[in-house]
Amino acid sequence: MSVNGAPPKRPRDLSYRVVCGMIIAVVVWMLLMPFVPSVAMSTMRRFHLASDSFVLWCVQQPVPSMYNFANQFHARKTPLGFPETILSLDDQEVGDDWRYINHFPTRRLTFADGRYDLLRYSKNQWLEFKTTYRGQELNSLIHAKPVGPGEYEVIRKEIAEDSP
Amino acid sequence: MIDPLVSRGRMVAVHCVVQLGILLTLTWKWTYFKWSDNLHEKITLADPFFPDWLESADVVRYAYLISLAVIVVNIVSWEKYLTRLCNYVTLACLSVLLIHQASYNDATFTTAWWACVWSVWYGHHMDDPDRIATLDRGAFLSRAMMSMVLLGGAVGKWTPEYWNGDVLYDIYFRDRNFWMFNYLRNTFEPDQLRVIATWYSRKVVAIETICGFGLWLLPSRLAALIGLLVFTSIAIFSNIYLFSVMFALMGIAAVGLFVVKRPTHQLDLEA
Repeated sequence: MSVNGAPPKRPRDLSYRVVCGMIIAVVVWMLLMPFVPSVAMSTMRRFHLASDSFVLWCVQQPVPSMYNFANQFHARKTPLGFPETILSLDDQEVGDDWRYINHFPTRRLTFADGRYDLLRYSKNQWLEFKTTYRGQELNSLIHAKPVGPGEYEVIRKEIAEDSP
Repeated sequence: MIDPLVSRGRMVAVHCVVQLGILLTLTWKWTYFKWSDNLHEKITLADPFFPDWLESADVVRYAYLISLAVIVVNIVSWEKYLTRLCNYVTLACLSVLLIHQASYNDATFTTAWWACVWSVWYGHHMDDPDRIATLDRGAFLSRAMMSMVLLGGAVGKWTPEYWNGDVLYDIYFRDRNFWMFNYLRNTFEPDQLRVIATWYSRKVVAIETICGFGLWLLPSRLAALIGLLVFTSIAIFSNIYLFSVMFALMGIAAVGLFVVKRPTHQLDLEA
């Protein structure tokens, strides 16, 4: 309190404005998503690790996006177009149908539980990812190619957008 | 002159609660992260999308462990410059975890990052003379962050696959081993279960939308209580691991409980 009992006048707080500005920017971006297809597609590409640049992807990372979009994945033993049933089943445990996943479908490959499920045998693995949101769709196919014991190279085979 | 109505202990306690929230967020899945660390060493993924250093198991391990150590120091520290330094180091570590190949998808680091941004701001103002105003501003920022996170969840669910329940049915109701979904599977027929999933999903969309748009407008204490209730219920009724995402949010929600009303005579003088 100042001498006369009134609260002291606060100096301008630039950091407060910066944090408020960050929150406003994120909220505006999120609210544009249902109405501006390119904003939604940018987040869908973020989820598929397919942003135009790594910097653009990093800038979006603080945007909260828990359980966003309808994300699906499908793990294949064979390349796309090659019938899986021709090959005899081996001890490799992969999903035999499309399953939904909360966000970032590529986590199926990169997060620890996914690496364990799909990559512990050092064999080729093809993963299809599909994300849909209000009429837009993004499909991608990733080949995890073994290059050594426990070492994989990630090869993006195909990325296809479908917007209204 | 420092505001005598609010003790420094109260100002430090607010900061400690938020730090504790971040600490719990990071340690809740400790066993999983320990197992992951071992696996990241054994199975490596060379992805041209990520820079090499953001694929390294060492980087994710040390970013995680340093952030934990620094948060502990931060909680026991009363020295303002050390507090600020700790906040910046934690923010740097969490920023790395937010973009590392092994952790980018985990919302744990998103909520912890925002709580840390709050801490960085607060660390610079907890010794300002007008402590009542600092708590007010801190509570507003916490409400705005809670609203933003919930709105972020809501906007991505404004799509038919969530409104008809397809996504959450497949993720939770089909085969998730969790007390509530096990109970529902054992109690209801498959077609009834599908209907329950639809209404469960609509309830999630509605709560996130209403809280996302409304929480920041509420009085501090009410918003804090609603925030704590919503975040606790999300974890209890969906997935106990979600506490790793929720603790940081619960930490910043609790800020609203520390707000002090300015005495009437001061308000009169201000007017």
